[in-house]
Amino acid sequence: MAMNWLSALARGAEIPVFAVVGAQGLAPVEGLRHRPGLRLVDSPRHARVLLVAGAVDGAHKTALERLHAQIPTPRGTVWWQAAPLFARGQGVAGDDPLPAIRAAAGADDPDQRPDVPPHPWQGMGPHGQGGRGMMGGNPYGRPMAMTADDIRDGLALDVYNARFGPFLPMLPPGLVLDLTLQGDVIVSVSVVSPPFEQGMQGDAPDLCAARMLRLMGIAPRAARARGALLALPKGSGTRRRLAAWLRGQTVTERPSPLPEALPGLEWAEAVLWLASFLPSHLRAACMPRQAA
Amino acid sequence: MTGIAMPLILVLLAIAFAVAMQRIGARTDATWPQRAPFLGGGLPETHAWQRFHVRYYPMTLLFIAFEMEMMFMYPWAVVYVETGPVALAEMGMFLGILSVGILYGWREGVFRWQ
Repeated sequence: MAMNWLSALARGAEIPVFAVVGAQGLAPVEGLRHRPGLRLVDSPRHARVLLVAGAVDGAHKTALERLHAQIPTPRGTVWWQAAPLFARGQGVAGDDPLPAIRAAAGADDPDQRPDVPPHPWQGMGPHGQGGRGMMGGNPYGRPMAMTADDIRDGLALDVYNARFGPFLPMLPPGLVLDLTLQGDVIVSVSVVSPPFEQGMQGDAPDLCAARMLRLMGIAPRAARARGALLALPKGSGTRRRLAAWLRGQTVTERPSPLPEALPGLEWAEAVLWLASFLPSHLRAACMPRQAA
Repeated sequence: MTGIAMPLILVLLAIAFAVAMQRIGARTDATWPQRAPFLGGGLPETHAWQRFHVRYYPMTLLFIAFEMEMMFMYPWAVVYVETGPVALAEMGMFLGILSVGILYGWREGVFRWQ
């Protein structure tokens, strides 16, 4: 009896949804944010349903599968205006994915990735340390932390190399970056794959402003106050571009190539810088690198 | 009797508490993909402690250099007056050897910190 009552309550609760934005998916997902009955979360850890909005390139199939496997069980999948890349969940062709999301909230997809360690131990070296000497080596198939040059203050500390994207909520959808970080400061960047095509809808000023304000953690109404712009770092043009979007104007500035523009910025600055350009311009700036 | 029993009971209680906490806290239902950090679909090619890697070797060197110095200086100060200049020379040699370690640590950048 109590369980029925609890499950009835649970059915009425908001469904936490992790939205993977594919091609042409930015504007539809932005429209979902104000829909009652669901809540878009920033991490698969908090999600119940994986929503794939818009076509995702087949090259990102493994990344999508990993994301699906990172959602805690029970999980459901909805493919909204997207061709399924793997046989889980159901597809929606129409404009309203909400009924399908409700249905997926009752589903329980099996794991899409095998439940095995990503880097199994390969006992190498005389003491199982994986390498030679006191430093270096590759225990568990991954290199040891090593120091490298710092561009900010010359203090050589451990660098962090990682591949970010394509479905990280703070980066433009589809963008995959290989970053080398010293603390929070970006030291070097290479673009692995460009952002997805978002079309004219993705360039709408109100949508771009909303995305940037969300990254800053500022509510849209508070953005009318002048102080919101002061929260942005000075000198990078992000203030100017957000102000233009808030006035409803289109930003015509184009980003310089990412490998030149991003080094020296902190992670949060870089994320805001990337969000302060039109998705179509950013995609264009990443494309020549891709062809070369 | 109680002098032995009380600590024993406390130790047993501590062990029981530790085992209970381990049972409560263990999340064995997380799969391997779920244990990986969320990088937007990618897999980290680094170790989990990469960003928190303390370089123990120079820190230990510095600690021993200053700690050992102080440790031997206290008894040395007690006998210094009666032993005289011999003690001064011995301590000078000892400090000279230790300062080589400090200089080495200096060169390795152990004193640099933000």
